[in-house]
Amino acid sequence: MIVVKDLVRQFKSGDRTIKPVNGVSFELEKGSLASIVGKSGSGKSTLLSLLGALDKPTSGDVVVDGVSLAGLPDSKLTEYRRRDIGFVFQQFNLIPNLRAVDNVMLPMEFAGVRKAARLKRAKELLEQVQLDPEKQSRRINRLSGGEQQRVAIARALANEPKLILADEPTGNLDEQTGEHIIELLSSLSRDHNTTILVVTHDRSLAQKTERCFRLQQGRLTEEVKSGLHR
Amino acid sequence: MSVLARSVGNAFRNKIRTAAVVAVLAVAIGLALAMLVANQAVGAKVQELNASVGTTLTVNPAGGQGFEGGGEPLTAAQAQTVASVTNVTSVVGTKALRLQTATAETSTTQQGGGFGPGGQQASVTTNLTAAIDAGTLGNRNGSATNTGGTGTTQRVRTLPIAATGIGAEVDSAGKALDITSGTGLGDYTTAQAKALVGTTLAQKNNLTAGSTFTIQDKTFTVAGIFDAGTAFGNNAVYVTLPEAQTLAATPDELSTMIVTVNSMENVDSTKTAVQSALGTSKADVTQGQRNLETAVSSLDSVKNISLVAFIAALATAGLIILLIMVMLVRERRREIGVLKAIGARNRTIGLQFVLESLVLVALGSVVGAAIASLASGGIASALISSNTSTTAAPTTQRGGGFGGGGFAGGGFAGGGQGGPFGGASQLLTSVSASASPGVIAAGIAAVFAVAIIGALVPALLTARIRPIEVLRGE
Repeated sequence: MIVVKDLVRQFKSGDRTIKPVNGVSFELEKGSLASIVGKSGSGKSTLLSLLGALDKPTSGDVVVDGVSLAGLPDSKLTEYRRRDIGFVFQQFNLIPNLRAVDNVMLPMEFAGVRKAARLKRAKELLEQVQLDPEKQSRRINRLSGGEQQRVAIARALANEPKLILADEPTGNLDEQTGEHIIELLSSLSRDHNTTILVVTHDRSLAQKTERCFRLQQGRLTEEVKSGLHR
Repeated sequence: MSVLARSVGNAFRNKIRTAAVVAVLAVAIGLALAMLVANQAVGAKVQELNASVGTTLTVNPAGGQGFEGGGEPLTAAQAQTVASVTNVTSVVGTKALRLQTATAETSTTQQGGGFGPGGQQASVTTNLTAAIDAGTLGNRNGSATNTGGTGTTQRVRTLPIAATGIGAEVDSAGKALDITSGTGLGDYTTAQAKALVGTTLAQKNNLTAGSTFTIQDKTFTVAGIFDAGTAFGNNAVYVTLPEAQTLAATPDELSTMIVTVNSMENVDSTKTAVQSALGTSKADVTQGQRNLETAVSSLDSVKNISLVAFIAALATAGLIILLIMVMLVRERRREIGVLKAIGARNRTIGLQFVLESLVLVALGSVVGAAIASLASGGIASALISSNTSTTAAPTTQRGGGFGGGGFAGGGFAGGGQGGPFGGASQLLTSVSASASPGVIAAGIAAVFAVAIIGALVPALLTARIRPIEVLRGE
């Protein structure tokens, strides 16, 4: 279970203080699939990075399965990201000179998974996100945007995280592949009890999540429940 | 893909840049290694010089050096006196003999006697044939002796063989004998019918270890063959000191004493003390160190210069690596942020960049080692010649101070550059700077250590920041 308590993140910009996340509180049950919608610059990505321990809040706390992130040292936060979090970045953030399969293997390497096991799992994951087998051995910079996005999703799933944070996971995908990815995320949530939080502009994707939040001027409001059937 | 494979791959991301980096590193590493090789070579030479003669004094009978020497012979009692002088670590007595065939011996006697320090070289007969031809110099010197001779029989142009009784396994200058076959004489303090024979003399007389020959009609067995490194030095025989004294019928008499002092710094004071202990009218004490002082001093300068140059070149290589890694790390801040975001530890990121820099350094070291192996000799020579041109000349003039008297026909006696330690310039040019694997390995290890620090610092500094700061900053 994830509990977000009065989370605030502020930045200084000249004389001004900006608060992209301003007193956000919510709870997500384990295995739930939720989405956050909002305009560009509304603080969606900042909130996601706070939940994923990529950034530290100015105040407030995130508690994951009873563990407060605010009290953890950097080494523990690294361990949390490695073991409990799967990130799908809006810009994919893949390592360009590595092959697709190597990118997916990276989080497993950091987690100490043996080479043969991580290679097997990386290939399985790339198949799940429907990346052609012949493209699995291609370098990232020789893949299209949609293909890179699928590799990024596969990488996020590599260590079977408790929480997947996805920033526009279907933004670069065609409708059919996007549908497939949504189905994949739904099945992970349903079958593996993985909590999934998606930031999206895609109303159809947001409609398919159990809960949908709207972030506006740093504050979060929950919208009417979507009609996703588990 | 392991962190090592990833690092190797990263090192070749931009091949042109990698080639340029490797070339620059190779020059710096090559220079550093060449300086290290030069430093080691010169250091070894200094050590060798100090060990061989730098701390050695030679004691001759007063007035006993040169062609027309005189004075009283040294005695075993005097050797004991010298041994008790402070800072003296050992005293080795020698007894010089001149071996000639029976015919030549007769002729020489008719010509007026032998040469050497104070006429100390007792002439004894042998069945050995000298390995050196008399040549022009020998014949000229042989003729010159007639002026003081009493006989009328014209000369026999056969050079004598140098035989020396020794109290330890060293040559007449105190340097350890290089025995190339057979064994030494064992106990040098007792008389025994065994001898060490020089290589050329052994060849001339078909001698090997176990062969026999005679001195004064006494049969000697060849225990070993030695190589003195010179034609003159190899036309020689060594027997134990008591044996030589017995052959010369001068028990307790010594031709020279080789005195070893405990350190180079104490040579001057010990020389004075020995001279004082023996009396100026009884013995002349000469100092091998003097011949080499300037040479060693010059070599020390070269050693220091090469050490400073090595450190400077190493620092340059380290700076190059540091700047390159700072550039690479800045260029790949986003990648570091991503690696952190997906759970890489700081040390994993640091290790990746260290390995990447080591790949570059390894390539630079291979090329640099090749450069060093080709250039180290030239660099060492250039350093030596530029640092010794003003100092080598006077030392050359002072060369040849060793060796208590000599035979006709060229040898120790000359005051010029013919002596075994004559000429500092010869010593200087004899420094051979070869790139030994051990020195190269030590140099490369130093470069690798610098590279690790150069790569680790920027990588860890970047890895310590929050991932979002790097990812947002792009």
